[in-house]
Amino acid sequence: MTKPGVEFAELHWLMDVLQSIDVGLVILDRDYKIQLWNGFMENHSGLPPDQVHDKSLFESFGDIPETWFRQKAEPVFELKTRTFTIWEQRPYLFKFKNSRPITGRSSTMYQNSSLIPLESVNGDVNHICLIIYDVTDIAVNQGDLISANGHLAYLSQTDSLTELFNRGFWEQEFQREHKRCSRTSTPCSLVMFDIDHFKNVNDTYGHQAGDEVIRTLASIVRQTARETDICGRYGGEEFTILLVDTDAEAATIFTERLRKKVAALVINIDDKEIKFTISSGIAEYSSNFIKHTQWIEAADKALYHAKGNGRNKTTVYQSK
Amino acid sequence: MRAQAMTMSLTEDQRDCYQEITNVAMGQAADRLARLLDVYVILPIPKVNMISASELHMALADTATSDNVSAVCQGFIGSGIAGEALLVFNDASFSDLAQIMNYKGPLDQHGELELLMDVSSVLIGACIHGIGDQIEVSFNQGHPVVLGQHCQVDDLVKSGNHQWSQTLAIEIHYEIENLNISCDLLLLFTEDSVAKINQQVDYLLD
Repeated sequence: MTKPGVEFAELHWLMDVLQSIDVGLVILDRDYKIQLWNGFMENHSGLPPDQVHDKSLFESFGDIPETWFRQKAEPVFELKTRTFTIWEQRPYLFKFKNSRPITGRSSTMYQNSSLIPLESVNGDVNHICLIIYDVTDIAVNQGDLISANGHLAYLSQTDSLTELFNRGFWEQEFQREHKRCSRTSTPCSLVMFDIDHFKNVNDTYGHQAGDEVIRTLASIVRQTARETDICGRYGGEEFTILLVDTDAEAATIFTERLRKKVAALVINIDDKEIKFTISSGIAEYSSNFIKHTQWIEAADKALYHAKGNGRNKTTVYQSK
Repeated sequence: MRAQAMTMSLTEDQRDCYQEITNVAMGQAADRLARLLDVYVILPIPKVNMISASELHMALADTATSDNVSAVCQGFIGSGIAGEALLVFNDASFSDLAQIMNYKGPLDQHGELELLMDVSSVLIGACIHGIGDQIEVSFNQGHPVVLGQHCQVDDLVKSGNHQWSQTLAIEIHYEIENLNISCDLLLLFTEDSVAKINQQVDYLLD
């Protein structure tokens, strides 16, 4: 005698749970008309169940692209399979506010969703359940992680004074290019250059002025180089530029342009005018450079030659 | 407990039975995929092995025929049996996939993610369901997670720091006739699940 009462009580509890669970539940029929709308959906959308009941999902919520959503939902009806969407695909299905409107750092709620088939007594799927999960914290944290990793990568690759690649990272990139060169036949040239008599700059004007000279030179390098060129600070006043798809002749034109720009430059520090010059060595890739260090040595040799030749010069490496 | 788990192995009969169960399940999955896409799906024989954490990387590397892959994984659990399904796509597959999925948008990273999610929902869901049906377990599926897009196979699963030493791995390689589409589905069961599935399998064998 008491059994129906117990069952009714259980059903009542279940309804209570569905109503108050912190997950969105929507039941849709074959025409995508809303048949169930739980408390989560009501509270976040501001629409009570009687306002959306039997209304088309797409008409009530224009944010949901119909073709896209049907592509996810049709297999649920047709194949009785579950399908899922994640916030990386679309940040949200329903444009709800962040559940932490004050301290949250996103204005909208990021959502994952599951679509599950609801079988009727005869085994047909005439209804599906759309479950909405609030994943705002996960999405925001993921964004933070990506930007933090990006920043760390930048810091670990960059020379802080010049904002060019630091030596470690430059060498890593250079090794990769060296490998690529050995596979392909496109030319590639390495330029090494340094500031002539840099010690004099430091001694005469002080280290602050020396730093300013290096910084200015680096910014000229950035302006002169193409985006694909790999520029690094190799040592104190020594720089390297890897010019991809560039033979020695074109590299000479580039380097001469850089040399002339630098020679024409006057830096004013504390009312003092500083002028300086650079010497460069160029080595185009040759298959004789079995190790990447041999390529660097060749460019270094050319640079040494430019220095011996009176400085403010560019020399191209000639293999004998 | 750990020592016992380390020596976990499969008998020939059990392996055959796993293969048979997978055959049926992936047949169902392929059928659903075929109905969804209106194509003929080629099925090979699934590989069933107990593998160690270090071998997982090798198994993954074996699946990749091209340098770059995209992958989705999804956890499942039920009746004390737990595991993960990993679906690995060769990046070269996407243009043909977009064509048969009737995907009209631009095939950028976002477009590929859509395809990846749509196919994995169907394939993983059907396969897990198919296996569950046969061993009479109703699995609960977690939410899928993208392990990576356009990445090297090595970067998919971070090495080291695993909570497990051995896993039952079922590898299924799907191909679609006349199209440049190939993907690998790896079903990985935790070591403590293996005893439970073996029980079910032995029951089926009797």
